[in-house]
Amino acid sequence: MKTIEEQLWSYIDGTCTTDESKAIAELIAADETWGSKYADLLSFDQQLESIELDEPSMGFTFKVMEGIRGEYAQQPLNAKINQNIISVIAAFFIISITALLLFLWVSVPLGHANMSNGLPQQLKHAESFLQNPETKFLHGTTLLNIFLMVDIVLALFLTDAYLRRKKASKQALRP
Amino acid sequence: MQSKLSDIELIEASLGGNQSAYADLVRRHQRFVFTLALRFAKNREDAEEIAQDCFIKAHRSLASFQKQSKFSTWLYSIVYTTSMTFLRKKKLPTDYIDDENTYIQLQNYAGSSGNLAENRSRSYYLNEAIGELQPDDASIITLFYMGEQSLDEIGKVLGIESNTVKVKLFRARQRLKEKLEKNLKSEVRELI
Repeated sequence: MKTIEEQLWSYIDGTCTTDESKAIAELIAADETWGSKYADLLSFDQQLESIELDEPSMGFTFKVMEGIRGEYAQQPLNAKINQNIISVIAAFFIISITALLLFLWVSVPLGHANMSNGLPQQLKHAESFLQNPETKFLHGTTLLNIFLMVDIVLALFLTDAYLRRKKASKQALRP
Repeated sequence: MQSKLSDIELIEASLGGNQSAYADLVRRHQRFVFTLALRFAKNREDAEEIAQDCFIKAHRSLASFQKQSKFSTWLYSIVYTTSMTFLRKKKLPTDYIDDENTYIQLQNYAGSSGNLAENRSRSYYLNEAIGELQPDDASIITLFYMGEQSLDEIGKVLGIESNTVKVKLFRARQRLKEKLEKNLKSEVRELI
């Protein structure tokens, strides 16, 4: 059961049904208690309607726009790069590598290859390259170790940079 | 000079890279956003910081605004969540508490009430009384009367059902009326 005040507020706010509204209007007109209460609440409602909004400082809009400009300037480079360009470059390399592998697979008859006489022409060239004393230093153990070491350091560096970026973006998203 | 374009037109222009369109949008809504933030923060400096933060957040996620509701409703929901986060960070009460300690605490938050006789109009007392209400009560009254939001829209902003909003609005108005009467009575006593 709703109180008189609840019903009157619904009437003032216009949230009650047509029938309820009609019944309340009759009660306001006929009953003095309802009438005075209604006048009281209506006056309070009108006062609330007339409250003025507070005004922020003069430079408020300027400060907001400065904040937005500052945020845009701080945006990381990866957020500015068009992702479509990245996708196109990635697709180009994937297609090129796949085509190269397919070409190798088709052109090298591995079924006939054996380690001595049956080597195809291409593999024979590769074998002579490896056996040549002038080019042997290229696949010597020291050079290979240096190459692998640089690779590992580079991989660690890139992984670290990636994880740092990921952590920073997660922190930036936090409220 | 405020723009005559609608909120949606200004949003589209802003998404197209027109910065002054967003500045117009800020100018249009800044007074209400600031007032609503003031209901939570209770001091102008913090309220201004919250309001600025809200507009920056809104700009950041402007592209995700679905245009199914009013821009103001969407913006006020950002103000509400940002203000609640602010209160939690400051460890100020965010729920309904009616004990005497809270009342005293809130009077302290209200702080800059001042004693300027010339400001002591009915509207001044009303604002004072709203400032003493709990943030939830004050924000519902502000959204309903000053933000021109319907019960459904207030429900969207606060993340509650419109029937719950109706009940909360009724209680908030009752509390406000009581506080206003109490403040005016003590004022009359002072004058006598």
